[in-house]
Amino acid sequence: MSAPHTPHPTEAARFCHAASARVAPDADADGLAEAYAVLTRRHGLAGGRLWVERVPAGLAVRRRDAELARPLPVGGPDLRAVLLRHDDGADLVLVARRHAVGRHRLGTLLAELTDPAAPGSSGSDADAPASASADVADASASDPDAGDTGWLRGDPGPDRPAAHIVAVPAGTDLAALVAAVGAVLARYRGVRRALVGAVVDERLAVVGVPVDGGARDLLATAAATGSPWPVAGGAPPAGFLDVEVGVLDAASPADAYRPCLAPLWPLTLALAGTTLTCHHRTAGWSGDLVAAFARQVVRVLGQVLADPDRPLAGHDLFDDAERAAIVALGRGPGGPPPAVDTIAGRVARHARRRPDAPAVSCAGQRLTYAQLDAAATRVARALAAHGVAPGDRVGVCLDRSVDLIAVLLGVLRAGAAYVPVDPAYPAERIRYTVEDSGVALLVGGGGIDPAGLTAGPDDAAGKEPAAGGPDDTAYVIYTSGSTGRPKGVCVPHRNVLALVDATAGDFGLGPADVWTMFHSSAFDFSVWEIWGCLLTGGHLVVVPHLVTRSPQEFHALLAAERVTVLNQTPSAFAQLLDVDRRAADRLAVRLVVFGGEPLDARMLTGWFDRHPERECRVVNMFGITETTVHVTAQTLDRGLALAGSRSVGRALPGWRVYVLDPDGRLLPPGAAGEIHVGGAGVADGYLHRPELTAQRFRPDPWAGGRMYRSGDRGRLLPDGRLEHLGRLDDQVKVRGYRIELDEIRQVLLDDPGVLAVAVVVQTGAESADTRLHAYVVLADPAAAGTAADPAAGAAVGARAATGVLAEVRRRAARMLPDYMVPATVTALPALPLTGNGKLDTARLPAPAELPASAPAPAADAALDERIRAVWQRVLGAEVGPEDNFFDLGGNSLLALRLLNELRDQGLADLTPRHLYVHQTVRGLAEAIGAAR
Amino acid sequence: MTDAPTRPAPVVTGDRLAGKTAIVTGAARGLGRSCAVTFAAQGADVVLVDLAGDLPGVPYPLGSASQLAHTADLCAGYGVAAYPVEADVRDLAAVRAAVALAVARFGRVDVLVNNAGIAAPSGKPTHEITEAEWQLMLDVDLSGPWRMISAVGEVMCRQRAGSIVNVASTAGLVGYRHFAGYVAAKHGLVGLTRAAALDYAPLRVRVNALCPGSVRDDPHVEGRMLAEIARSLEVPVAEHEETFVQAQPMNALIEPGAVAQAALWLASDESAQVTGSVITVDGGFTTR
Repeated sequence: MSAPHTPHPTEAARFCHAASARVAPDADADGLAEAYAVLTRRHGLAGGRLWVERVPAGLAVRRRDAELARPLPVGGPDLRAVLLRHDDGADLVLVARRHAVGRHRLGTLLAELTDPAAPGSSGSDADAPASASADVADASASDPDAGDTGWLRGDPGPDRPAAHIVAVPAGTDLAALVAAVGAVLARYRGVRRALVGAVVDERLAVVGVPVDGGARDLLATAAATGSPWPVAGGAPPAGFLDVEVGVLDAASPADAYRPCLAPLWPLTLALAGTTLTCHHRTAGWSGDLVAAFARQVVRVLGQVLADPDRPLAGHDLFDDAERAAIVALGRGPGGPPPAVDTIAGRVARHARRRPDAPAVSCAGQRLTYAQLDAAATRVARALAAHGVAPGDRVGVCLDRSVDLIAVLLGVLRAGAAYVPVDPAYPAERIRYTVEDSGVALLVGGGGIDPAGLTAGPDDAAGKEPAAGGPDDTAYVIYTSGSTGRPKGVCVPHRNVLALVDATAGDFGLGPADVWTMFHSSAFDFSVWEIWGCLLTGGHLVVVPHLVTRSPQEFHALLAAERVTVLNQTPSAFAQLLDVDRRAADRLAVRLVVFGGEPLDARMLTGWFDRHPERECRVVNMFGITETTVHVTAQTLDRGLALAGSRSVGRALPGWRVYVLDPDGRLLPPGAAGEIHVGGAGVADGYLHRPELTAQRFRPDPWAGGRMYRSGDRGRLLPDGRLEHLGRLDDQVKVRGYRIELDEIRQVLLDDPGVLAVAVVVQTGAESADTRLHAYVVLADPAAAGTAADPAAGAAVGARAATGVLAEVRRRAARMLPDYMVPATVTALPALPLTGNGKLDTARLPAPAELPASAPAPAADAALDERIRAVWQRVLGAEVGPEDNFFDLGGNSLLALRLLNELRDQGLADLTPRHLYVHQTVRGLAEAIGAAR
Repeated sequence: MTDAPTRPAPVVTGDRLAGKTAIVTGAARGLGRSCAVTFAAQGADVVLVDLAGDLPGVPYPLGSASQLAHTADLCAGYGVAAYPVEADVRDLAAVRAAVALAVARFGRVDVLVNNAGIAAPSGKPTHEITEAEWQLMLDVDLSGPWRMISAVGEVMCRQRAGSIVNVASTAGLVGYRHFAGYVAAKHGLVGLTRAAALDYAPLRVRVNALCPGSVRDDPHVEGRMLAEIARSLEVPVAEHEETFVQAQPMNALIEPGAVAQAALWLASDESAQVTGSVITVDGGFTTR
């Protein structure tokens, strides 16, 4: 069934405005109706009749406001007049469609009707509707580089219109307001030029506000490049209403004036004198966000009015109080006093207090705290005997074992710092680390034998190891940056002690806990595993390397050792989840800590089914090696898992989080910027790299000390929790659009058939050659034939999986703009992981092209063949006659290239529309054939 | 006769129909008034349609102009606009004019309650019904709702929104001796509901039927339908409530406010995916 469609009432309401004025109690309704008829006739307006209604006592204001809010129906008159009579007189309400009656004329009409003495000169309208113009080219609101919009936050609950009113400085006009709104908006979006909607001279405009310039002349060309108001039922002018914020003048002589009956833009700021009314719908802009935004606009307005020539980027959004509040928001609650002891000193205290408690075990080997302490002491003496002095660095290149722990503790006991080196690393990388760190001694890895260190006599004559202090470096861990060679991060004892002190109480860490050491000692997650356990008196179960590679064996170990505290990267945990779902043995895990990479909280629902929140706490922690493993903690529950929360929680006690813009200024809560971390976890710097250290470790201007510039994107939520948005350099551009790979991942993960996802970018010589490739682990491997060889880790059964994968891609195509849809989707039995348990993009196989569909008899084989050859060249893939251009990764740029080539070869002169209608080789060939 | 309550049942105010426009037929009294007032209290502007006069062939007085004006006053007391319209649901032009008024004044029609109906002439076996009696009953109780839908359907389809509530009866689900015309009309109304629901479902216009059981003649809404049914069955009017209560599983007659609450839910967006439903408010009468 088809019928003409009336836009949603709020859509019509956006283009209506309304005003009301008081009428004398003795006014004659019939006379007024007559005057109204004459007036509308004179103005050539379709105004219908005057509606006269009697309002019961006490309801006058309510009824007037309801009439002021009632939009005109599409297809009806352009003006409505309602006289609401009540005991104290009457209100005349006029509602008009804005394209027919402008703001000034509405006021004049009202005045003429309510004050017969008013001059009947309303015909000379300054705001008579301008003739329709096609000049909407400058409405670049869909600028692909328009910045971040994730800060837009709605209130929970039903969407409703709301308004927030603030006072603006005297002298504020529309031009100053546009400048101030642009300055604030640019800060939220992270752009240098903000787009602000405006109604200027009764035309809808989009004003570009460059923050590098001043506030003058911003509206100079607005009206000329603007669009007239849409006629009733007409489509809103393309582009003009797609911006988040817009401003309009609402000054009116009427008793009450409503410049629009539904927010014209998601946030519509109406200026009337020194009153700014912020209209919004609660689903898009929460009340809190609007209040903060308006407060910041008012603050910038003051600066704009005082100095209109100063670049907008230089204005302050905050006063001291608001700045202090934002700083406080990012500060972890409380904070333990600075430590005065050392890691080794604290382990020794546990050894004295509970000498027989289990400390470390691995593959049948087991040390009590007394035995561990004694072994470490022997190591320390042996190191001293080898010439290691306090402050030296000792390389430790050992497999996961009891000895590894004893050696690490022994190095610390000797007053030295350990430099962990993973023996599984390539020889070149090991050599680089050893040389760059300038170790005094290397244990294992071709250096001295660890057995010789730990096996010495207990009552050796060697001197007592040096004690050291909390400010001594405890370890130097090498991290790979996105650029340059790996660099060593120097972390002192006090940081590690602060980390454990900050979490032990909240997590209830203690002697009853059994931890695993799952991660390589060269990955700083292990710092948390080893010292989080041993500094709280727990039992550390060192997981042999081969067991870490087998989720089945690891799960069995967790059950057999009654492990209570489990630390995992999300990628590794995803594999464990799969085993846990099928495992019969019960786990004793009471705390799961995620770290190392972003977590997709949605994968946790199955875990919660088997391990309810009250039995096992799940905590997602965001951290950086340079800030001592962790920074924030977010306890997850089913609600957050279902919502796919990206929150990584509040800063740990003693840690501080700041989100700053590229100029190093605080951003308002909600706005995305670079995460900076201050407080108790900030490392001492990079070994032998003073310049890099000075570049990344900056003075903390708000709390003193230093802060680390992370290179991670994030936003501080209004409740102080941090949302982590990935690496700054993970933002990629595809065909000019800035995209987040994570967003694509999330959409693919929404597919119930998909368990895990990786998305990578393949850059080509030209922008149009840039392709996105997705790799998925399917819930039903049989569907994709991936069960054939689970160990291979390569694309398998792609041909058999075509149906499933094409469906996955089609589903994504429904959710994502076309430039974000992966060109290929490849099924894998599991995602390849690095030694640290993170996704290893280097080991992803080449993407499987969607296989060409089976050929069917062609009508014009020669034409088919020639067109197919062009497709194959453009798409760089085998193409069948029934293949869909867009399913094979075709995008709008490739489409243009295809059409050009078809034209060059004299095959056909087509427009992109043809390709959208005929998306297969066969379809296109038939269309061309028919046209010949 | 049981004692009449001294005060009307309290009407709950709210915004469940805020910004909506509702047309209620048979609004002068009874269930129609109850629905109109309930809707107004939830923020709906109302257009109140009633014949406001007697009908030749119907053996009892129908709603009056005064009763219709009183319903409008009750509605306006909740701060909404209320327009009484005197129109006969047997007159297609009059029905169209009522809908046109609603569109001209309010710009839209969100809700239609097809409540107008007659219970008599009834009270005789099927073969004794005259053709005129039969035609009258179907013209008001079945064709009336169809005329309203035909007038309002286009408006609602254009809006891509609307809720039509057809007040049928348990007589639309089961038979009653000596009420063939009424039972046939109400069964027909249930059928009309189901078919129209399918017609309009793609355009998000919903059509549902309400089937009240024996509704008490609440003096506050000036109800008298049950008394007229009793008269048709030659039950002494003074004892009719006791007589009807005996057939009720809940041992109570249906309150008009309870029916209005069901209509409110069907009218509001809370029932957004309910269409083609036939909902009984009969205290369990038809489940036996």
